[in-house]
Amino acid sequence: MALVIGIAFGFALERAGLGNARKLVGQFYGTDFTVFKVMFSAIVTAMLGAFWLSRFGVIDLASVAVPETWLVPQLAGGLLFGIGFVTAGLCPGTSCVAAATGRGDGLAVMLGLFAGMLVSGLTLPGNLNLTARGALTLPEVFHLPYGVVVAAVVAIALAGFRWTEARA
Amino acid sequence: MRRALLIAALVAGVLAPLAGSPYRAPQLDVQRLAAQIEAEQDHVTAVELAQWIRDRKPGLRVLDLRTPAEFEQYHVPSSVNVPLPQLVAQQFARGDTLVLVSEGGGHAAQGWVLMRARGYASVFFLRGGIQEWDEDVIRAPEQKELSRYFGGDRRGGC
Repeated sequence: MALVIGIAFGFALERAGLGNARKLVGQFYGTDFTVFKVMFSAIVTAMLGAFWLSRFGVIDLASVAVPETWLVPQLAGGLLFGIGFVTAGLCPGTSCVAAATGRGDGLAVMLGLFAGMLVSGLTLPGNLNLTARGALTLPEVFHLPYGVVVAAVVAIALAGFRWTEARA
Repeated sequence: MRRALLIAALVAGVLAPLAGSPYRAPQLDVQRLAAQIEAEQDHVTAVELAQWIRDRKPGLRVLDLRTPAEFEQYHVPSSVNVPLPQLVAQQFARGDTLVLVSEGGGHAAQGWVLMRARGYASVFFLRGGIQEWDEDVIRAPEQKELSRYFGGDRRGGC
């Protein structure tokens, strides 16, 4: 099952052109909004699916794993990730896609990725329990009903799509 | 096609605030649990458990709630060590039969309530805990065959 989903995910990324570093970097320079559109269509699809399927009792939202939040370590990691992303023009997922389609830069990023994980795993202390916030979701952060957050994210996505289409 | 998807997303998003909470209400039916306890459908005896293990009851999982050190020292054959905090976090196959084992049975009985509250239907606890296992299966003269099967007292037979 995971393999099928993974292959479909990689296929969709490649079809969207996200194996191409120029397209990804274009997002940072404001010249290409493919990343924004792909990401937000994925977020909106998954969010609406999870919300409504749970509402109708098809899936149990409480048993969906939510990764835990550590504010400071994740901010630091996110910043580092962003720098790497702009420099390489690829993120972990898209570097695999790029490597799979035979692009040399994708392979280089994958090697760097694993080297980085190895080095940080060996050097960083394992107990960086700074600013732990537990498994946090947006409805909890904003003290809003779940459905209101869903509607807000859809509104942001649709407004974003409209804005990027108008610029293109 | 694209337009239709956008409209579908818009409609599903606009309706979301009116749909209420997507989380399921806790399904703890205390009346039903009380009836089960009253009917003694909440536990197994050591002899019953021994028969289940010997007969390789399909989907049987024996979970030992004691500390890893206690588990290491002695445990029911085929059981695995799952302390309470881990038990309530772990996912099990819905069709499996879970048997909870603790030292005297008290912790396992509490684990039974927690696991029933989590929605697992086929849960039992070993009534007298590991002590009952030792007394009624391993060192029980009247359970010659079972106690021999689990490597207990051999003096009774030949």
